[in-house]
Amino acid sequence: MHHVTLDRWSRGESVLHRRDARVKVLALAAYLVAVATLDAGQQLALVACGALLAAGLLASRLPAGALLARAAIVLPFSGVFAIFSVLGGQPGRAVELVEKSYLSACAVLLVAGTTPLARLMGALESLHVPRFVVLVVQFIYRYLFVVSEQAQHMRLAALSRGEKGSFRAAAGALAVLFARSEARAEAVYRAMAARGFSGRIPQLGTPQLHPADAAFLIAAVGAAAIIRIAAGVFS
Amino acid sequence: MHIPDGFLATPVWAGLDATAAPAVAYLARRAGRNFDEGRIPMLGVMGAFVFAAQMINFPVGVGISGHLLGGALLAQTLGPSAAAVTMTAILAIQALVFQDGGVLALGANVWNMALIGVLAGYLPLGALGCGRRRLAAFLGGALSVLAVAVVAIAELLVSGVRMPGPVLAVTMGLFFVTALIEGAITAAVVGAIGAVNPDWTSRPQAPLARKAMFGLGACAFLLATGGIFLASTAPDGLERLAGRIGLGERARVLLAAPMPDYEARWFSSAALGKAAAGMAGLVLIFVLTALLGKWLIRTRRKE
Repeated sequence: MHHVTLDRWSRGESVLHRRDARVKVLALAAYLVAVATLDAGQQLALVACGALLAAGLLASRLPAGALLARAAIVLPFSGVFAIFSVLGGQPGRAVELVEKSYLSACAVLLVAGTTPLARLMGALESLHVPRFVVLVVQFIYRYLFVVSEQAQHMRLAALSRGEKGSFRAAAGALAVLFARSEARAEAVYRAMAARGFSGRIPQLGTPQLHPADAAFLIAAVGAAAIIRIAAGVFS
Repeated sequence: MHIPDGFLATPVWAGLDATAAPAVAYLARRAGRNFDEGRIPMLGVMGAFVFAAQMINFPVGVGISGHLLGGALLAQTLGPSAAAVTMTAILAIQALVFQDGGVLALGANVWNMALIGVLAGYLPLGALGCGRRRLAAFLGGALSVLAVAVVAIAELLVSGVRMPGPVLAVTMGLFFVTALIEGAITAAVVGAIGAVNPDWTSRPQAPLARKAMFGLGACAFLLATGGIFLASTAPDGLERLAGRIGLGERARVLLAAPMPDYEARWFSSAALGKAAAGMAGLVLIFVLTALLGKWLIRTRRKE
Protein backbone atom coordinates (compact mmCIF):
# COMPACT_ATOMS: atom_id res chain seq x y z
CA MET A 1 0.00 0.00 0.00
CA HIS A 2 0.79 3.67 -0.31
CA HIS A 3 2.07 4.10 3.23
CA VAL A 4 4.55 1.26 3.21
CA THR A 5 7.02 3.28 1.13
CA LEU A 6 7.14 6.16 3.58
CA ASP A 7 7.40 3.82 6.57
CA ARG A 8 10.27 1.94 4.93
CA TRP A 9 12.01 5.21 4.03
CA SER A 10 11.71 6.53 7.55
CA ARG A 11 13.44 3.48 9.00
CA GLY A 12 16.49 3.94 6.77
CA GLU A 13 19.91 5.03 7.86
CA SER A 14 21.58 8.34 7.01
CA VAL A 15 22.88 11.56 8.51
CA LEU A 16 19.38 13.00 8.27
CA HIS A 17 17.68 9.91 9.77
CA ARG A 18 19.92 10.11 12.82
CA ARG A 19 19.03 13.74 13.64
CA ASP A 20 16.70 14.44 16.53
CA ALA A 21 13.07 14.74 15.40
CA ARG A 22 12.58 18.08 17.19
CA VAL A 23 15.51 19.58 15.31
CA LYS A 24 14.08 18.37 12.01
CA VAL A 25 10.66 19.85 12.79
CA LEU A 26 12.21 23.23 13.57
CA ALA A 27 14.38 23.13 10.45
CA LEU A 28 11.33 22.24 8.36
CA ALA A 29 9.36 25.13 9.84
CA ALA A 30 12.18 27.59 9.09
CA TYR A 31 12.50 26.31 5.53
CA LEU A 32 8.75 26.45 4.86
CA VAL A 33 8.49 29.98 6.23
CA ALA A 34 11.43 31.09 4.07
CA VAL A 35 9.84 29.62 0.94
CA ALA A 36 6.37 30.95 1.76
CA THR A 37 7.49 34.53 2.36
CA LEU A 38 9.51 34.88 -0.86
CA ASP A 39 8.03 36.99 -3.63
CA ALA A 40 7.43 36.02 -7.22
CA GLY A 41 10.29 38.21 -8.40
CA GLN A 42 12.89 36.52 -6.21
CA GLN A 43 13.63 33.61 -8.53
CA LEU A 44 17.26 33.34 -7.47
CA ALA A 45 16.22 32.80 -3.86
CA LEU A 46 13.77 30.10 -4.87
CA VAL A 47 16.55 28.39 -6.80
CA ALA A 48 18.72 28.58 -3.66
CA CYS A 49 15.89 26.99 -1.67
CA GLY A 50 15.75 24.24 -4.26
CA ALA A 51 19.50 23.72 -3.87
CA LEU A 52 19.12 23.51 -0.10
CA LEU A 53 16.44 20.88 -0.56
CA ALA A 54 18.66 18.95 -2.98
CA ALA A 55 21.45 18.95 -0.39
CA GLY A 56 19.04 17.53 2.19
CA LEU A 57 17.84 14.93 -0.29
CA LEU A 58 21.43 13.82 -0.97
CA ALA A 59 22.17 13.63 2.74
CA SER A 60 19.02 11.58 3.38
CA ARG A 61 19.98 8.89 0.84
CA LEU A 62 16.30 8.48 -0.02
CA PRO A 63 15.44 7.52 -3.63
CA ALA A 64 15.33 11.03 -5.13
CA GLY A 65 13.21 10.15 -8.14
CA ALA A 66 10.55 8.43 -6.08
CA LEU A 67 10.41 11.28 -3.57
CA LEU A 68 10.14 13.94 -6.28
CA ALA A 69 7.40 11.92 -7.98
CA ARG A 70 5.46 11.53 -4.74
CA ALA A 71 5.63 15.24 -4.02
CA ALA A 72 4.25 15.87 -7.53
CA ILE A 73 0.82 15.05 -6.09
CA VAL A 74 0.40 18.79 -5.41
CA LEU A 75 1.08 19.72 -9.03
CA PRO A 76 -2.41 19.15 -10.47
CA PHE A 77 -3.91 21.56 -7.92
CA SER A 78 -1.27 24.24 -8.32
CA GLY A 79 -1.20 23.64 -12.06
CA VAL A 80 -4.87 24.56 -12.39
CA PHE A 81 -4.38 27.78 -10.46
CA ALA A 82 -1.19 28.50 -12.42
CA ILE A 83 -3.23 28.31 -15.63
CA PHE A 84 -5.73 30.79 -14.18
CA SER A 85 -2.86 33.12 -13.30
CA VAL A 86 -1.40 32.88 -16.81
CA LEU A 87 -4.84 33.59 -18.30
CA GLY A 88 -5.10 36.52 -15.93
CA GLY A 89 -1.86 37.95 -17.24
CA GLN A 90 0.29 37.02 -14.23
CA PRO A 91 2.78 34.44 -15.55
CA GLY A 92 5.20 35.27 -12.72
CA ARG A 93 2.57 34.41 -10.15
CA ALA A 94 1.86 31.12 -11.94
CA VAL A 95 5.51 30.06 -11.75
CA GLU A 96 5.63 31.13 -8.11
CA LEU A 97 2.58 29.04 -7.15
CA VAL A 98 3.96 25.88 -8.74
CA GLU A 99 7.47 26.35 -7.34
CA LYS A 100 6.39 27.17 -3.80
CA SER A 101 3.85 24.38 -3.47
CA TYR A 102 6.22 21.80 -4.96
CA LEU A 103 9.25 22.85 -2.90
CA SER A 104 7.16 22.82 0.29
CA ALA A 105 5.72 19.37 -0.46
CA CYS A 106 9.23 18.01 -1.14
CA ALA A 107 10.52 19.45 2.13
CA VAL A 108 7.66 17.93 4.15
CA LEU A 109 8.19 14.59 2.45
CA LEU A 110 11.92 14.77 3.18
CA VAL A 111 11.25 15.15 6.91
CA ALA A 112 8.40 12.59 6.97
CA GLY A 113 10.59 10.21 4.98
CA THR A 114 13.49 10.38 7.42
CA THR A 115 11.50 10.35 10.69
CA PRO A 116 9.09 7.61 11.80
CA LEU A 117 5.68 9.14 12.50
CA ALA A 118 5.78 8.11 16.17
CA ARG A 119 9.05 10.06 16.59
CA LEU A 120 7.65 13.01 14.71
CA MET A 121 4.62 13.07 17.00
CA GLY A 122 6.81 12.75 20.08
CA ALA A 123 8.75 15.77 18.85
CA LEU A 124 5.55 17.74 18.31
CA GLU A 125 4.43 16.85 21.81
CA SER A 126 7.66 18.14 23.33
CA LEU A 127 7.14 21.30 21.24
CA HIS A 128 3.84 21.80 23.12
CA VAL A 129 1.32 20.49 20.64
CA PRO A 130 -1.58 19.27 22.88
CA ARG A 131 -1.00 15.68 23.98
CA PHE A 132 -4.60 14.76 23.22
CA VAL A 133 -4.20 15.72 19.55
CA VAL A 134 -0.86 13.93 19.28
CA LEU A 135 -2.39 10.77 20.77
CA VAL A 136 -5.33 10.84 18.38
CA VAL A 137 -2.92 11.25 15.43
CA GLN A 138 -0.94 8.22 16.63
CA PHE A 139 -4.07 6.13 17.01
CA ILE A 140 -5.44 7.11 13.62
CA TYR A 141 -2.15 6.27 11.95
CA ARG A 142 -2.03 2.95 13.79
CA TYR A 143 -5.53 1.85 12.71
CA LEU A 144 -5.78 3.67 9.39
CA PHE A 145 -4.55 0.75 7.35
CA VAL A 146 -6.35 -1.88 9.42
CA VAL A 147 -9.74 -0.24 8.92
CA SER A 148 -8.98 0.58 5.28
CA GLU A 149 -8.15 -3.06 4.66
CA GLN A 150 -11.43 -4.01 6.25
CA ALA A 151 -13.29 -1.59 3.97
CA GLN A 152 -11.47 -3.10 1.01
CA HIS A 153 -12.51 -6.63 2.07
CA MET A 154 -16.13 -5.54 2.42
CA ARG A 155 -16.07 -3.97 -1.02
CA LEU A 156 -14.61 -7.14 -2.55
CA ALA A 157 -17.14 -9.31 -0.74
CA ALA A 158 -20.01 -7.15 -1.98
CA LEU A 159 -18.67 -7.30 -5.55
CA SER A 160 -18.39 -11.07 -5.45
CA ARG A 161 -21.96 -11.36 -4.19
CA GLY A 162 -22.97 -9.62 -7.42
CA GLU A 163 -23.57 -6.25 -5.80
CA LYS A 164 -24.73 -3.79 -8.47
CA GLY A 165 -23.95 -0.83 -6.26
CA SER A 166 -26.97 0.82 -4.74
CA PHE A 167 -26.96 3.87 -2.52
CA ARG A 168 -28.67 2.04 0.35
CA ALA A 169 -26.28 -0.89 0.17
CA ALA A 170 -23.29 1.46 0.38
CA ALA A 171 -24.84 3.23 3.38
CA GLY A 172 -25.41 -0.15 5.03
CA ALA A 173 -21.81 -1.14 4.36
CA LEU A 174 -20.58 2.06 6.00
CA ALA A 175 -22.83 1.49 9.00
CA VAL A 176 -21.40 -2.01 9.40
CA LEU A 177 -17.88 -0.60 9.08
CA PHE A 178 -18.77 1.99 11.72
CA ALA A 179 -20.08 -0.72 14.04
CA ARG A 180 -16.96 -2.83 13.54
CA SER A 181 -14.73 0.20 14.17
CA GLU A 182 -16.64 0.93 17.35
CA ALA A 183 -16.22 -2.68 18.49
CA ARG A 184 -12.54 -2.55 17.57
CA ALA A 185 -12.05 0.64 19.55
CA GLU A 186 -13.63 -0.99 22.61
CA ALA A 187 -11.41 -4.05 22.25
CA VAL A 188 -8.33 -1.89 21.73
CA TYR A 189 -9.11 0.14 24.81
CA ARG A 190 -9.69 -2.91 26.98
CA ALA A 191 -6.50 -4.56 25.78
CA MET A 192 -4.52 -1.36 26.40
CA ALA A 193 -6.09 -0.80 29.82
CA ALA A 194 -5.18 -4.37 30.75
CA ARG A 195 -1.57 -3.58 29.84
CA GLY A 196 -1.54 -0.45 31.96
CA PHE A 197 -2.23 2.31 29.41
CA SER A 198 -2.18 5.57 31.31
CA GLY A 199 -3.12 7.95 28.52
CA ARG A 200 0.44 8.34 27.27
CA ILE A 201 2.29 6.41 24.60
CA PRO A 202 5.79 5.85 25.96
CA GLN A 203 8.73 6.76 23.75
CA LEU A 204 11.54 4.26 23.33
CA GLY A 205 14.53 5.93 24.91
CA THR A 206 14.69 9.56 25.92
CA PRO A 207 15.58 11.78 22.97
CA GLN A 208 18.80 13.66 23.61
CA LEU A 209 20.24 16.56 21.71
CA HIS A 210 23.71 15.73 20.44
CA PRO A 211 26.20 18.35 19.24
CA ALA A 212 25.53 17.13 15.70
CA ASP A 213 21.84 17.93 16.14
CA ALA A 214 22.62 21.45 17.28
CA ALA A 215 25.01 21.90 14.36
CA PHE A 216 22.34 20.67 11.95
CA LEU A 217 19.77 23.01 13.43
CA ILE A 218 22.07 26.01 13.16
CA ALA A 219 23.08 25.10 9.62
CA ALA A 220 19.55 24.45 8.34
CA VAL A 221 17.81 27.37 10.02
CA GLY A 222 20.79 29.62 9.23
CA ALA A 223 20.75 28.69 5.55
CA ALA A 224 17.00 29.32 5.30
CA ALA A 225 17.35 32.65 7.12
CA ILE A 226 20.30 33.77 4.97
CA ILE A 227 18.41 32.96 1.75
CA ARG A 228 15.36 34.85 3.00
CA ILE A 229 17.33 37.90 4.19
CA ALA A 230 19.53 38.02 1.10
CA ALA A 231 16.42 37.90 -1.09
CA GLY A 232 15.00 40.84 0.83
CA VAL A 233 18.20 42.87 0.60
CA PHE A 234 18.99 42.30 -3.08
CA SER A 235 15.53 42.58 -4.56
CA MET B 1 -10.51 21.36 -0.47
CA HIS B 2 -7.06 20.95 1.09
CA ILE B 3 -5.02 24.10 0.49
CA PRO B 4 -1.35 23.33 -0.22
CA ASP B 5 1.57 25.50 0.93
CA GLY B 6 2.47 28.40 -1.31
CA PHE B 7 -1.08 29.54 -2.06
CA LEU B 8 -1.98 31.67 0.92
CA ALA B 9 -0.52 35.11 1.53
CA THR B 10 1.73 35.32 4.60
CA PRO B 11 -0.72 37.30 6.80
CA VAL B 12 -3.46 34.80 5.95
CA TRP B 13 -1.63 31.57 6.79
CA ALA B 14 0.21 33.08 9.74
CA GLY B 15 -2.97 34.53 11.20
CA LEU B 16 -4.92 31.32 10.71
CA ASP B 17 -2.10 29.20 12.19
CA ALA B 18 -1.83 31.50 15.18
CA THR B 19 -5.57 31.36 15.87
CA ALA B 20 -6.10 27.68 15.05
CA ALA B 21 -3.51 26.56 17.62
CA PRO B 22 -5.28 27.93 20.73
CA ALA B 23 -8.68 26.92 19.31
CA VAL B 24 -7.55 23.33 18.89
CA ALA B 25 -5.84 23.36 22.28
CA TYR B 26 -9.09 24.55 23.87
CA LEU B 27 -11.16 21.92 22.06
CA ALA B 28 -8.64 19.23 22.96
CA ARG B 29 -8.91 20.16 26.62
CA ARG B 30 -12.69 20.20 26.31
CA ALA B 31 -12.82 16.86 24.52
CA GLY B 32 -10.35 15.47 27.04
CA ARG B 33 -12.66 16.48 29.86
CA ASN B 34 -15.72 14.91 28.27
CA PHE B 35 -13.83 11.83 27.11
CA ASP B 36 -11.90 9.91 29.72
CA GLU B 37 -8.54 8.50 28.65
CA GLY B 38 -10.21 5.31 27.54
CA ARG B 39 -12.08 7.09 24.81
CA ILE B 40 -8.93 8.18 23.00
CA PRO B 41 -8.69 4.89 21.07
CA MET B 42 -12.29 5.55 20.02
CA LEU B 43 -11.39 8.88 18.43
CA GLY B 44 -8.40 7.28 16.72
CA VAL B 45 -10.34 4.37 15.30
CA MET B 46 -13.15 6.68 14.20
CA GLY B 47 -10.61 8.88 12.44
CA ALA B 48 -9.31 5.75 10.70
CA PHE B 49 -12.93 4.93 9.83
CA VAL B 50 -13.30 8.26 8.03
CA PHE B 51 -10.20 7.52 5.95
CA ALA B 52 -11.48 4.03 5.13
CA ALA B 53 -15.03 5.20 4.43
CA GLN B 54 -13.71 7.13 1.45
CA MET B 55 -13.08 3.82 -0.32
CA ILE B 56 -16.76 2.93 -0.45
CA ASN B 57 -18.43 4.42 -3.48
CA PHE B 58 -21.97 5.75 -3.45
CA PRO B 59 -23.62 5.67 -6.87
CA VAL B 60 -25.42 8.99 -7.35
CA GLY B 61 -26.37 8.95 -10.98
CA VAL B 62 -25.42 7.69 -14.41
CA GLY B 63 -21.78 6.77 -14.09
CA ILE B 64 -21.17 9.21 -11.23
CA SER B 65 -20.31 8.13 -7.74
CA GLY B 66 -19.39 10.05 -4.64
CA HIS B 67 -17.89 9.18 -1.30
CA LEU B 68 -18.30 10.34 2.25
CA LEU B 69 -16.19 13.31 3.35
CA GLY B 70 -17.09 12.68 6.96
CA GLY B 71 -16.92 15.97 8.84
CA ALA B 72 -20.63 16.10 9.59
CA LEU B 73 -20.86 12.38 10.35
CA LEU B 74 -18.06 12.70 12.92
CA ALA B 75 -19.67 15.80 14.42
CA GLN B 76 -23.02 14.09 14.79
CA THR B 77 -21.70 10.85 16.26
CA LEU B 78 -18.74 11.90 18.42
CA GLY B 79 -19.95 15.38 19.36
CA PRO B 80 -18.46 18.62 18.03
CA SER B 81 -15.33 19.04 20.14
CA ALA B 82 -14.18 15.42 19.81
CA ALA B 83 -14.97 15.55 16.09
CA ALA B 84 -12.93 18.74 15.68
CA VAL B 85 -9.92 17.14 17.39
CA THR B 86 -10.28 13.99 15.29
CA MET B 87 -10.57 16.05 12.10
CA THR B 88 -7.46 18.05 13.09
CA ALA B 89 -5.55 14.80 13.56
CA ILE B 90 -6.79 13.54 10.17
CA LEU B 91 -5.63 16.78 8.51
CA ALA B 92 -2.22 16.51 10.18
CA ILE B 93 -1.77 12.98 8.84
CA GLN B 94 -2.93 14.03 5.39
CA ALA B 95 -0.44 16.90 5.36
CA LEU B 96 2.51 14.90 6.71
CA VAL B 97 2.01 11.49 5.15
CA PHE B 98 -0.14 11.98 2.06
CA GLN B 99 0.97 15.49 0.94
CA ASP B 100 -2.71 16.44 0.90
CA GLY B 101 -2.69 20.03 2.12
CA GLY B 102 0.31 22.04 3.26
CA VAL B 103 2.00 22.19 6.66
CA LEU B 104 2.04 25.98 6.97
CA ALA B 105 -1.46 25.93 5.51
CA LEU B 106 -2.50 23.44 8.19
CA GLY B 107 -3.96 26.24 10.31
CA ALA B 108 -6.12 27.31 7.38
CA ASN B 109 -7.20 23.74 6.67
CA VAL B 110 -7.93 23.15 10.36
CA TRP B 111 -10.06 26.29 10.44
CA ASN B 112 -11.92 25.29 7.30
CA MET B 113 -12.50 21.61 7.83
CA ALA B 114 -11.94 20.82 11.50
CA LEU B 115 -13.52 23.88 13.09
CA ILE B 116 -15.94 25.53 10.65
CA GLY B 117 -16.78 22.35 8.74
CA VAL B 118 -17.42 20.32 11.88
CA LEU B 119 -19.43 23.08 13.55
CA ALA B 120 -21.52 23.57 10.40
CA GLY B 121 -22.06 19.81 10.36
CA TYR B 122 -23.19 19.86 13.97
CA LEU B 123 -25.30 23.00 13.78
CA PRO B 124 -28.49 21.38 12.38
CA LEU B 125 -28.39 18.64 15.02
CA GLY B 126 -27.95 21.26 17.71
CA ALA B 127 -30.85 23.25 16.31
CA LEU B 128 -33.22 20.43 15.40
CA GLY B 129 -32.38 18.18 18.34
CA CYS B 130 -32.41 14.42 18.08
CA GLY B 131 -36.02 14.27 16.91
CA ARG B 132 -35.34 14.56 13.20
CA ARG B 133 -32.02 12.76 12.87
CA ARG B 134 -32.07 12.23 9.14
CA LEU B 135 -33.00 15.78 8.28
CA ALA B 136 -30.33 17.03 10.68
CA ALA B 137 -27.81 14.66 9.09
CA PHE B 138 -28.69 15.81 5.57
CA LEU B 139 -28.49 19.48 6.47
CA GLY B 140 -25.29 18.90 8.44
CA GLY B 141 -23.55 17.13 5.58
CA ALA B 142 -24.61 19.70 3.01
CA LEU B 143 -23.82 22.70 5.18
CA SER B 144 -20.43 21.46 6.22
CA VAL B 145 -19.33 21.08 2.59
CA LEU B 146 -20.77 24.49 1.63
CA ALA B 147 -19.14 26.21 4.59
CA VAL B 148 -15.75 24.62 3.89
CA ALA B 149 -15.94 25.56 0.22
CA VAL B 150 -16.94 29.14 0.91
CA VAL B 151 -14.22 29.81 3.48
CA ALA B 152 -11.52 28.02 1.47
CA ILE B 153 -12.34 30.02 -1.65
CA ALA B 154 -12.55 33.24 0.35
CA GLU B 155 -9.10 32.56 1.83
CA LEU B 156 -7.64 31.94 -1.62
CA LEU B 157 -9.23 35.08 -3.08
CA VAL B 158 -8.09 37.25 -0.18
CA SER B 159 -4.58 35.84 -0.68
CA GLY B 160 -4.59 37.15 -4.23
CA VAL B 161 -5.05 33.80 -5.99
CA ARG B 162 -7.02 34.68 -9.08
CA MET B 163 -9.97 32.69 -10.35
CA PRO B 164 -11.83 33.92 -13.43
CA GLY B 165 -15.50 34.62 -12.72
CA PRO B 166 -16.96 31.80 -14.81
CA VAL B 167 -14.55 29.29 -13.24
CA LEU B 168 -15.53 30.46 -9.79
CA ALA B 169 -19.21 30.11 -10.68
CA VAL B 170 -18.64 26.57 -11.99
CA THR B 171 -16.60 25.70 -8.90
CA MET B 172 -19.38 26.94 -6.65
CA GLY B 173 -21.88 24.90 -8.65
CA LEU B 174 -19.76 21.77 -8.27
CA PHE B 175 -19.43 22.37 -4.55
CA PHE B 176 -23.18 22.78 -4.33
CA VAL B 177 -23.71 19.39 -5.99
CA THR B 178 -21.03 17.88 -3.74
CA ALA B 179 -22.83 19.35 -0.75
CA LEU B 180 -26.11 17.70 -1.77
CA ILE B 181 -24.35 14.36 -2.28
CA GLU B 182 -22.57 14.63 1.08
CA GLY B 183 -25.89 15.46 2.73
CA ALA B 184 -27.58 12.48 1.17
CA ILE B 185 -24.73 10.13 2.11
CA THR B 186 -24.56 11.45 5.66
CA ALA B 187 -28.31 11.05 6.08
CA ALA B 188 -28.26 7.50 4.69
CA VAL B 189 -25.30 6.46 6.84
CA VAL B 190 -26.71 8.04 10.01
CA GLY B 191 -29.99 6.24 9.33
CA ALA B 192 -28.20 2.92 8.81
CA ILE B 193 -26.03 3.41 11.90
CA GLY B 194 -29.16 4.20 13.91
CA ALA B 195 -30.65 0.92 12.68
CA VAL B 196 -27.58 -0.99 13.88
CA ASN B 197 -27.44 0.71 17.28
CA PRO B 198 -29.62 3.72 18.12
CA ASP B 199 -27.28 4.69 20.96
CA TRP B 200 -24.56 5.81 18.57
CA THR B 201 -26.59 8.45 16.83
CA SER B 202 -28.60 9.92 19.66
CA ARG B 203 -25.85 10.93 21.99
CA PRO B 204 -27.38 13.82 23.92
CA GLN B 205 -25.36 16.96 24.50
CA ALA B 206 -25.57 19.21 27.49
CA PRO B 207 -27.94 22.10 26.66
CA LEU B 208 -25.37 24.74 27.58
CA ALA B 209 -22.72 23.20 25.35
CA ARG B 210 -25.24 23.08 22.55
CA LYS B 211 -26.00 26.72 22.94
CA ALA B 212 -22.31 27.67 22.94
CA MET B 213 -21.65 25.53 19.88
CA PHE B 214 -24.64 27.02 18.15
CA GLY B 215 -23.41 30.55 18.78
CA LEU B 216 -19.94 29.70 17.49
CA GLY B 217 -21.39 28.07 14.42
CA ALA B 218 -23.59 31.06 13.67
CA CYS B 219 -20.58 33.39 14.01
CA ALA B 220 -18.61 31.20 11.60
CA PHE B 221 -21.40 31.41 9.07
CA LEU B 222 -21.74 35.14 9.34
CA LEU B 223 -17.98 35.49 8.87
CA ALA B 224 -18.06 33.22 5.85
CA THR B 225 -20.95 35.13 4.35
CA GLY B 226 -19.15 38.39 4.92
CA GLY B 227 -16.00 36.97 3.38
CA ILE B 228 -17.66 35.84 0.20
CA PHE B 229 -19.56 39.07 -0.17
CA LEU B 230 -16.37 41.00 0.28
CA ALA B 231 -14.46 38.80 -2.12
CA SER B 232 -17.05 38.88 -4.86
CA THR B 233 -19.35 41.84 -4.88
CA ALA B 234 -17.01 44.55 -3.69
CA PRO B 235 -13.70 44.49 -5.56
CA ASP B 236 -12.75 47.80 -3.97
CA GLY B 237 -13.33 46.32 -0.56
CA LEU B 238 -11.05 43.42 -1.36
CA GLU B 239 -8.36 45.72 -2.67
CA ARG B 240 -8.62 47.91 0.36
CA LEU B 241 -8.47 44.95 2.69
CA ALA B 242 -5.52 43.54 0.77
CA GLY B 243 -3.80 46.90 1.08
CA ARG B 244 -4.57 47.24 4.75
CA ILE B 245 -3.16 43.87 5.72
CA GLY B 246 -0.26 44.56 3.38
CA LEU B 247 -0.49 41.50 1.19
CA GLY B 248 0.57 41.26 -2.39
CA GLU B 249 0.91 45.03 -2.68
CA ARG B 250 4.25 44.84 -4.40
CA ALA B 251 3.30 41.82 -6.46
CA ARG B 252 0.13 43.47 -7.67
CA VAL B 253 1.80 46.70 -8.63
CA LEU B 254 4.56 44.77 -10.34
CA LEU B 255 2.38 42.33 -12.21
CA ALA B 256 -0.97 43.95 -12.68
CA ALA B 257 0.23 47.40 -13.70
CA PRO B 258 0.14 46.65 -17.43
CA MET B 259 -3.52 45.63 -17.16
CA PRO B 260 -5.00 47.60 -14.30
CA ASP B 261 -8.59 46.78 -15.17
CA TYR B 262 -8.16 43.08 -15.55
CA GLU B 263 -8.82 41.97 -12.00
CA ALA B 264 -11.71 44.33 -11.57
CA ARG B 265 -13.35 42.87 -14.63
CA TRP B 266 -13.30 39.39 -13.12
CA PHE B 267 -14.72 40.52 -9.89
CA SER B 268 -17.57 42.45 -11.34
CA SER B 269 -18.58 39.56 -13.58
CA ALA B 270 -22.32 39.11 -13.34
CA ALA B 271 -22.22 35.34 -13.03
CA LEU B 272 -19.81 35.49 -10.11
CA GLY B 273 -21.83 38.13 -8.34
CA LYS B 274 -24.97 36.06 -8.71
CA ALA B 275 -23.29 32.87 -7.54
CA ALA B 276 -21.86 34.53 -4.49
CA ALA B 277 -25.06 36.33 -3.67
CA GLY B 278 -26.91 33.05 -4.06
CA MET B 279 -24.52 31.28 -1.72
CA ALA B 280 -24.65 34.02 0.83
CA GLY B 281 -28.43 34.13 0.62
CA LEU B 282 -28.59 30.39 1.14
CA VAL B 283 -26.38 30.61 4.19
CA LEU B 284 -28.38 33.50 5.62
CA ILE B 285 -31.66 31.68 5.07
CA PHE B 286 -30.24 28.67 6.86
CA VAL B 287 -29.04 30.71 9.81
CA LEU B 288 -32.41 32.40 10.07
CA THR B 289 -34.37 29.15 9.90
CA ALA B 290 -32.00 27.54 12.38
CA LEU B 291 -32.43 30.45 14.78
CA LEU B 292 -36.19 30.31 14.34
CA GLY B 293 -36.18 26.55 14.97
CA LYS B 294 -34.08 27.01 18.06
CA TRP B 295 -36.44 29.70 19.36
CA LEU B 296 -39.49 27.55 18.62
CA ILE B 297 -37.98 24.60 20.47
CA ARG B 298 -37.20 26.78 23.46
CA THR B 299 -40.65 28.33 23.65
CA ARG B 300 -42.27 24.94 23.24
CA ARG B 301 -40.14 23.56 26.04
CA LYS B 302 -41.23 26.38 28.34
CA GLU B 303 -44.90 25.67 27.77
